[in-house]
Amino acid sequence: MSVRKTLISNCEKKFLIKNLSEWTRLDGRAFDEFREIQISFGKDWGSCHVSLGKTSVLAQVSCEIQQPKTSRPSEGVLNLNIELNPLAAPHFDTGRQSDVGVQLNRLLEKCLKDSKALDLESLCIKMNEKVWSIRVDLNVLNYEGNILDCASIAALSALAHFKRPDVTSDGEEFVIHSIEQRDPIPLVLHHYPVCVTYAVFNGGEFILADPSLVEEEVSDAFLSVGLNAYKELCGLHLGGKAELSTDLILSTTTKAANRAVLVVREIKEAIEKDAEKRLKSKECFNMEHLFNDLAAMNLEKYIDPWAGDGKRKKKKSKEKKQEEVTTKMDVEEVVQVANIENLGEGTAALIPINEKDGSKIWEISDEDDDDVDDEIVVVEVPKPVVDLRDVATDSEEEAVIILNADKKTNKKKKYKTKK
Amino acid sequence: MSQIEFVLPGQVVKDVKSVRGVTILGPGLRQNEDQPNTICVTQPGKLYFKSPNVYWIEGNRNRYIPKKYDLVVGVIVKKSGDMLKVDIGSAEHASLSLLAFEGATKKQKPDVQVGDIVYAKLLNAHREMEPELVCVDSYYRAGTLGVLSNDGFLMNISLTLAQKLLDIQNPLLRSLGKRFCYEIAVGVNGKLWINARKTKDVLNLMKVFQITDQNAKTDLSEVNKSIL
Repeated sequence: MSVRKTLISNCEKKFLIKNLSEWTRLDGRAFDEFREIQISFGKDWGSCHVSLGKTSVLAQVSCEIQQPKTSRPSEGVLNLNIELNPLAAPHFDTGRQSDVGVQLNRLLEKCLKDSKALDLESLCIKMNEKVWSIRVDLNVLNYEGNILDCASIAALSALAHFKRPDVTSDGEEFVIHSIEQRDPIPLVLHHYPVCVTYAVFNGGEFILADPSLVEEEVSDAFLSVGLNAYKELCGLHLGGKAELSTDLILSTTTKAANRAVLVVREIKEAIEKDAEKRLKSKECFNMEHLFNDLAAMNLEKYIDPWAGDGKRKKKKSKEKKQEEVTTKMDVEEVVQVANIENLGEGTAALIPINEKDGSKIWEISDEDDDDVDDEIVVVEVPKPVVDLRDVATDSEEEAVIILNADKKTNKKKKYKTKK
Repeated sequence: MSQIEFVLPGQVVKDVKSVRGVTILGPGLRQNEDQPNTICVTQPGKLYFKSPNVYWIEGNRNRYIPKKYDLVVGVIVKKSGDMLKVDIGSAEHASLSLLAFEGATKKQKPDVQVGDIVYAKLLNAHREMEPELVCVDSYYRAGTLGVLSNDGFLMNISLTLAQKLLDIQNPLLRSLGKRFCYEIAVGVNGKLWINARKTKDVLNLMKVFQITDQNAKTDLSEVNKSIL
């Protein structure tokens, strides 16, 4: 048995309207005053919690590779999915989507998807074959009115915060680099649209910004405006029954535009703050991992983050090594050296097969240390990093390039003989 | 009355005091079948004991569970024939007969609309049955029960605060009375109806109750001092 929605009593309605005629609101806000927004980010990219007063929404962005729609072969896919569970309010059902859920979903889609805020073409990996599909899951944690504003802020901040793993291809095969291997890539947002909702009472006599639960129930209609920071309209919806004059809609939209600017600024500030925080905590955080794994003897996976600036070098060394490989004519073996391990949806890691006997790897990385140094001299790439990172760089190479350990040592010997 | 400890469901309380083999168990406790002379906890909260033999639990519960003879405030959600369905915050709507008002007969029934608020008494409350409300006492007098005016405001407070407000020794309502002129109906189901002459007074009262609810830990007398 599902719980019924609590009925708003006549006295609440009467009292609220009476208050409005005295220009006061139940929670003491001004008519065009909004509740406080709080934006916080989780540990993962694209996980974001937004609360608007007591209403709170949790957003999580995820990505996977899929085939594009035949009508748009070079565009990625964006999916928005809002979930109203009994956690938020007892009358929300778990299973199928309710009418409210469908409406909210569509309004959010109108605001974020139809306004082309996300650059879908940048999500294309190979035309007609592989594109990124971005999915935003929104969970309403508490319902105290105005889910739409809260959810739109949450979805937008999560999208702006999200980073997808890098993908490279050699023409035929695609390699998804795990976040440890290569810096993930943020999504491209053309503009930041948010929803701003107003409740309409007495056919437009009173218009309240950011309605609370009781206000939402008592109101005749709600006017929801999608706007971005440039005050461009990205969707307008008048739900319920009220005959609003065009002047009123225009003036409300102008007010909403000012609000949207503030909200977008707040979102951007929150993201910046989070980035700073991550930068600060990154080193010690990663260090910890390193030390744990030193004991576990599988450095491979964790060494990679320090190799962020090794891109150019990598190419050069790749060429060199590939030459070597071709001269030795044992390409097949090369393929066998590493396994692609699926780390989750849309991400994978390359893990060398001979990882188990860690001693071998250790030897190599030690020896290669000098190797890399040699290389630096040759290529003349400045390396403003700690020694530890050198260890990292080379074994990342190893992971990406998929070279046999023996070969590496061979190569090293070559270097030495040259010298 | 003394608080013993904080308990969790499943915990077993030993050394139970009894008078001639009788112990009175309040909400959140059950007789333990496995061991004699012990009680089993079914709800988290603070275990209280009142001499000589009464035990009960006070937790931070949100859902109201109907109990016989409780005085509650409810919203009428449905009207069908002579029966009214009332939302009292329990899992199931309670039923209230239109004939259970003072002076109501088959021909003369009180004017009650859907959405109105009633202050009523639980006549019947059983786990497997629909709770039943009445608006008269056993002498068919209304007393304080009946339909509440549509002028006030209904707000929800925690069950513990409702109990505290109903405590006759609690000075909060009295001290509020010195400051404001107001009417109030407190239901043990956590619904509270307030009415005052000025809407501003109602808003202030609402704020007072919200603050006291939030500061449930702080002593009510402190809140009381701050008002005066």
